[in-house]
This record gives sequence, structure tokens and C-alpha cells, in this order.
Amino acid sequence: MKTIVILLTFLTATTIHSQTPYEKGMGKAFELWGSNKTDEAANLFERIGKAEKENWLPYYYAAQVHIIKTFTTKNAEEIESRLKKAQNHLNEAKTFSSNNAEIMIMEAMLNTAYVAHNPSVYGMTLSPKVEELYQKAKVLDPENPRAILYHAEWKMGSAKFWGKDPKAYCPEIEKAALLFDKEQPTTPFYPSWGKDQIERVKQNCK
Amino acid sequence: MKSLLSFFLLLITSISVSQTTISGTVTERSGTPIIGANIYLDGTYDGGSTDDQGNFSFTTSETGEHTLVISFLSFETYSLTTTITAMKNLEVRLKEDVNSLGSVILNAGTFSAGDNSKASVLTPLDIVTTAGAAGDYIGAFQTLPGTSTVAEDGRLFVRGGDANEANVYIDGLRVFQPFTATANNIPTRGRFSPFLFKGTNFSTGGYSAEYGDALSSVLLLNTIDEPNQEKTDFSFISVGLGVGNTQKWKNNSLSINAFYLNLKPYQEIISQRVEWSKPFESLSGEAVYRHQFKNGLLKVYGGLNYTDFQLIQEDINIPEGINFGLTNRNLYLNASYKGELGNDWKLTVGASFANDHNDIQITETKVGTDDNNAHVKGKLRKRFSNRFKLSMGFEQFLGNFTEEVTAPSFDKVESNYQNNSTAVFTEANIFFSKKLAMQLGVRGTNNALLEYTRIAPRVSLAYKTSSTSQISLAYGDFYQAPQQNILKFNTSLDLEKSSHYIFNYLYQNNGRTLRAEAYYKGYDRLVKFDTERPEFSSNYSSNGNGYATGLDLYWRDNKSIKNLEYWASYSYLNTERTYRNYPERATPNFASDHNVSLVGKHWVKDWKSLIGATYNFASGRSYTNPNTRNFLGEKTKAFNSLNLNWAYLLSQQKIVYFSLSNVLGSDNIFNYQYANTPNSNGVFNRRAIRPTADRFFIIGFFWTISDNKTDNQLDTL
Repeated sequence: MKTIVILLTFLTATTIHSQTPYEKGMGKAFELWGSNKTDEAANLFERIGKAEKENWLPYYYAAQVHIIKTFTTKNAEEIESRLKKAQNHLNEAKTFSSNNAEIMIMEAMLNTAYVAHNPSVYGMTLSPKVEELYQKAKVLDPENPRAILYHAEWKMGSAKFWGKDPKAYCPEIEKAALLFDKEQPTTPFYPSWGKDQIERVKQNCK
Repeated sequence: MKSLLSFFLLLITSISVSQTTISGTVTERSGTPIIGANIYLDGTYDGGSTDDQGNFSFTTSETGEHTLVISFLSFETYSLTTTITAMKNLEVRLKEDVNSLGSVILNAGTFSAGDNSKASVLTPLDIVTTAGAAGDYIGAFQTLPGTSTVAEDGRLFVRGGDANEANVYIDGLRVFQPFTATANNIPTRGRFSPFLFKGTNFSTGGYSAEYGDALSSVLLLNTIDEPNQEKTDFSFISVGLGVGNTQKWKNNSLSINAFYLNLKPYQEIISQRVEWSKPFESLSGEAVYRHQFKNGLLKVYGGLNYTDFQLIQEDINIPEGINFGLTNRNLYLNASYKGELGNDWKLTVGASFANDHNDIQITETKVGTDDNNAHVKGKLRKRFSNRFKLSMGFEQFLGNFTEEVTAPSFDKVESNYQNNSTAVFTEANIFFSKKLAMQLGVRGTNNALLEYTRIAPRVSLAYKTSSTSQISLAYGDFYQAPQQNILKFNTSLDLEKSSHYIFNYLYQNNGRTLRAEAYYKGYDRLVKFDTERPEFSSNYSSNGNGYATGLDLYWRDNKSIKNLEYWASYSYLNTERTYRNYPERATPNFASDHNVSLVGKHWVKDWKSLIGATYNFASGRSYTNPNTRNFLGEKTKAFNSLNLNWAYLLSQQKIVYFSLSNVLGSDNIFNYQYANTPNSNGVFNRRAIRPTADRFFIIGFFWTISDNKTDNQLDTL
């Protein structure tokens, strides 16, 4: 009898510890992304998004994979089609979660990618949109370290363009750094990335 | 106890055993493997990606019937519904998504400007930062091939057609008076503020069956769907003041602007060839309201413009000159709705209305005109697949024109006519592949005033010859009713007709564009009359005809030199026609054989300045010298103009702007006016028709106030 109890407890315990297909899938997708299999990672995030329904996170990451990939891509056609795909993923994400600061930050990054890709075509039209998205995100979630860090980086970029001192935004980076340390994700896979980018953005303060 | 344990074990193993492997290969139509395609069972977590050979394989514990989905960037998504066990060693060929980048474009005859258009030759910014355009959005189009420089007019003269042959549309609806009222030989400007528009299509021929009543060209302007942000703009320029404001709330937005223009300060500084008794003055206001519905967008545009001036026009026959005064009031309203009806049906409906009122004084004669026009349109579009789309629509035009002339020599004369016409159109867009596409359209028009029904076919075809180049062909018939200055005297004429044949070659590669277009345009049923000007007593006929043929070249390069963008246009035009009071076929005065435009913009980072230069050249224009026997037998000297502009960005939101036209002061002659009677030596004297002044300049300060401080008015200059 005792063995059964042990066995049952053991079984239940493993069920609790064993992952749901969602967790397993997400974990696998991050692993693929980590090992530089970007298309496979994006594909898996997209599959999870389609299967999960009502969950914005897989789409959010699928978009992020494509956006980050464009930073190291030279082919104009590929950049445009990845960004288009990323926008579609974010649109999906928005239907499950409206007024979400994280999605707005990602959308700001997407528009930044357009501007970086072709400033003469997209610079004038999309720059105000990037600014608006960061501002909206900060209103919704004033303590979001990603909003603060990337908004500061965006502003540093335009300050440099206008021949001003980008160091004016350095205190914002310090603030973001403190908020990154305070950040405690509540739901699994909730966005918590970006802390490792602080050093890179700080280069502007030297 | 033991049996219970084995039962559990059995349960666990049995779950892991019932796995099925799904496998196959994904290729393009050509057989080239597709790497990285996404394959999955719809609604499950099970799936995989293709490897370097296009192979995929994954296992699933699902059973029974399921849908397997295969998707990849720029290909159409493939799906297969069958039992899991049948999904083995599949060979799937994906179809290219014809809507993706790199597809062939149906572009014969058309120049697009906008950020999303694949065939874009101008960016939105170009329209307004082109030197010499002086804030007039029409100015940038005059640097494109296919247009002739007719600097004393300011409107668009396309491929041997006169300015009346080009129509302007806003959000698909006709603009009846797109240009400000002006006098002979004084250039006009577009009525609309450039910053209300996001994209433009300028067609120099062969355009869609959706548009009619234009023999040569249509200019399609689209207003912004959703403004980026709330802001207030101020402009202080040497010839006027402007203010604009944009508000956004919930699903609504409203943009308003007002502008006051007075050329007096300019006319005081730069000496004028005409004597202005009352300087050119205009006051205009515009408003756009937008409302976003769940499945659609409503836009309402309203513009009101008041223009007033008086001058003494030189005339060789009247030594003291002609006293000419004009007051114009123009109201334009435009409302459109576009929305999704579900099942891939799209609906666009709209209406526009214009009231144009003129009070004109020519010496002792007073002319009052009142022109009311309306346009109602409905269009349905069905997307059967990415490869086949069908649209159909209906249009009704209503026009009512009244004129009242009073002169000391005769009593009041009144004329009035109603010009109503109805049109239906349908058009199919067919993509045979990513490389070959076709557009087939037909338009039927019935003009109630002239009692004519006409059917006009339109066809265009495009084929992609390589990843960077394509060729296209277009053919179309176009009909247009005679102009109001003729219709007011005679309403028994035919509709004027033109036929376009176009061959286009386009090369686009890494920031460089080459576009070459050869065309032939035939004219038929043009209006003729037998007096100097159309008059009540003239004899009218529809016996005029003509042709225009030529070659348009466009080259743009944004890459070769850092921070420099430039484009070059060349147009060769050979045209002759007999129309109006022409005794024989001849090249009209507005058409020049060779037109060249060079436009350059250089961003100087250290100066925070955008410096632009435009050079325009046009070969001589024909004129009639009554001292010889030849009608339109002589040519003026060539036209030259070098224009410069400089936008200096004081800060992100404050811009100082300077623009000067004809920097070199070239003495340009457009035409000659000869005396009606010869002098004592038997020679007809003449007077050169020149610009009112050789140079035009603007100094301005533009200031934008917005919450987010990144926007400025560079896109309105």
C-alpha cells in the first residue's frame, strides 16, 4: 500500500514538474533561436501561436525573431518581407491583447527597422510613429525597462543626427538598468529581455 | 500491487508508441528546394521546418483526419486535409505569392509616389522638396518625363495634350477646379495643401477603366488615412501666413489648415512686366475629418478658396493695355467611404461637389460665371484569389454652368447648359504567375448633353524579364467631352477621342531606376471652329484630329553618391494636330520637341541643410509669324531655368527655407503676339510673351509644435 502511495505521489509530482506542450514548445523555440536557427524558431513560435489561440506571446516572439534578423540582413527584398511578416504577427498579437505596452515596444522596433533599412523612404513617415509608440507604451507601463532603454536609444540616434549631445539621455539608461533588476515576470515567457543591451547603448555615453 | 504498476507503465508506453511520422519535400515550381518553410498540423503543436534539401519530417500522436499547412515568406500558403497516415513522402510545390515583393507590376504609363508602391519613382518627400516647385505639388510632376514645360501656365501638359486633357482626382473622386484661378500667361498653382496627401499616381497614358473624361492623363491623389500625431504647424513666408492643426481622438481625427497668400511684397522687390493694380491675394481653408469604423474608413474633405487680383495686361493691339480683374470663390467637398464587406468583397463609395464662382472684368466687359459640378461613384471589388481580382463600378457626373456677360455695347447675354454623364466600368486583374500579369478593362460612357454613348476598352500586360527588369504594354481608348467654353455655345458636338499605345521598360536595382517608355497617341473628333476664339456665331465641327508620338526616359540614382539623390528626365515628342481654329495640321505652341529636367538633392549633415537644384530645358516652341505664310511655322528660342532651394533645420521642429527660381536669369520667351494689322512698312509688329518676372523667390520659417517633437514641415515645403 505504502508503495502505491509513493508511486502515486511520484507520478503526480512528475506531472506537475513535466511541462505542458506549450511550455515545451516555447522552450524548444527559444533553444532554436539561441542556436541561431532563426527561421525554425520563428516557424515554431508561429505554430504555437496558431495552436494556442488567445495567447499573444508566441506571435510576439515570432515577430521579434524576424525583426532582429533584419538587422543583420543585407538583401532589401528579404528585409521587407520579414518586416511585413513581423507586422502581421504583431497584428495577431494585438487582437489577443490590446493596449499592451510590450507589443507597442516591439512595433516601435519594427518601425525603427524600416527607418534603418531605408531612411529616405521611411524616415520622414515612420519616425513620428516610432516616437508615438514609445510614448504610449510608457504611459501604459511607466516602469517598463525596455520602453525606457529603447526609447532612450532612439532619442540618442536622433540627437546625433541633429548634431546634439546624446549624453542627455544617459540618466534614462541608468533608470532602465535599475528597473531591469526589479523586473519579476509573473507569467511564464513574459518578455524580460533587454538587460544585456544596456552596455551596448551605454557606448553613446562615453 | 505489481499489476497496478505494470498497468501504469503500459499506459505511459502506449502513449509514446502511437506516433506517426509525417514527411515530404517542399519545392518551388521550378523544383528548387525551399529552405525553412513552416510545416504543421493545424491546431496542434506538431510541426517542423524544411532543411537544406527542402525535406521535412516530424512525428505526431494525432490520428484521423487533419489539415497540414505549409507556409513560407512570399509564397502562397498550402494546405492539405487528409488522414494522418496519408501524410507521408509528400511532394509539395508552393505557388509564388504574386502580391509579394519582386512580382511584376502593371505600370505602363504610370508614375507612383508613395512609400508602399513597388513602382515608386518619387518618395513623398520629393513632391515637396523639389527646387522650383515652390510648395506646389504639381511642380514635382513637371520634372517627370512625358510633361512639357509650359511655364506661363503652371498646369500639366502631357504628351502633346493640352492642359484640359489632364484630370485630377482626390480619393477616387473628381476635382473640378484643381488649380487656382489666374489670368493669361500667369502660372497657376494647385489648390491643395501637399501635406494632406500620402500617395500619388500620375498616369501619362493608358490608365485604368475606372477613370474617364480625360484624353491624356490622370493625376490621382490620396489623402492620409490616419495622421501620425497631434500637432500644430505655423508657416511665415515672404508672401503669406499659414496655420494648421491636427487632432486625434478615439477613432476620429481632424486636420484643418488655413493659408493667406499675398504677392505684394514679392512684386515690390522683383520688377514685374505687368502692372498689378491689385496684387494677387488668396485666402484658403481646408479641413479633413476621418472616422475609422470596425471594417471601414470614412473621409470627408472640404476646401474653400477665395482669390482676387487686378492687372493691366500688355497687348500689341491696345497700347494702353487691357484692364483685367478677377475674383474667384471656390468650394470643394469630397466624402468617401471604403470598407470590407466580408468574403473578400470591398466597397468604395463617394461623392464630390464643387461650386466655382468668378467675377471677371475685361476693360468694360463684365463676366459672371457660376459652375456647379457633382460626381457620385460606387465601386465593388472582389478578390477571388491573389491571382484574380475583379472590380466594377458606376459613376454619375452632374454639371450646371451659367454665364452672364454685360458690356456697354450690348445688353446682358446669358448662357446656360447642363452637362450630365453616366459611366459604368469593370476591370479584371489577372496574375498568371509572379512574372506575367494582365489588366483588362472596359468603360461605357453616356453623355446626356451631347447624346452620345461610347465604349472604351483598356488593356495592359506586364512581363518580368529578370529579377531587376520588366517590360509592359498598354492600349486604351479615351473619350472626353468638349470644354465649357465651347459647350456654352454648341451642344451638338461629338465626344473627343484618343487612343494610346504604350511600350514600357523598367529596370530597378539597388536604389537605381531606369524607365523608358515609347508611345503613340492618336487623336480624333477634336473640336474645330472658324473664328479666332469660340463664339456664339462660330461654326463648330468635330473634324479635328492629330497624333503624338515620343520617347520618355527617366533615370534615378540614390546610391552612387552618398547623401545625394538625383533624377534625370528626358522626353522626346513629335506631335501635330488640327483642332480649334487651326487651318492645317501643325505642332501646337504648348508642345516642345525636347524636354529635359535634372533634379538633385544633397543632404549636408554638418550644415543641417537640404540643398536642392533643378534644371529645366525645353526646346523652342512653335508660333505663327503673319509676315510669313506658314501657320505655326517658326520656333522660339529654347527655355532654360535653374532653380535652387535650401532648407536649413534650425532644430528638429524649426526650418528656415529659401527658394529662388531661374537663378541665372535666362530670358525665356513662350510665344509672340503679333499686331492685327501691318505697320506702314507692311510688317506685322510683335511682342514677346515672357514670364511676368524672370525670378521668383520665397523665404520662409516653418515651425511645428507637437508632443513628440520629431515631426517637422520638411514634407510640406
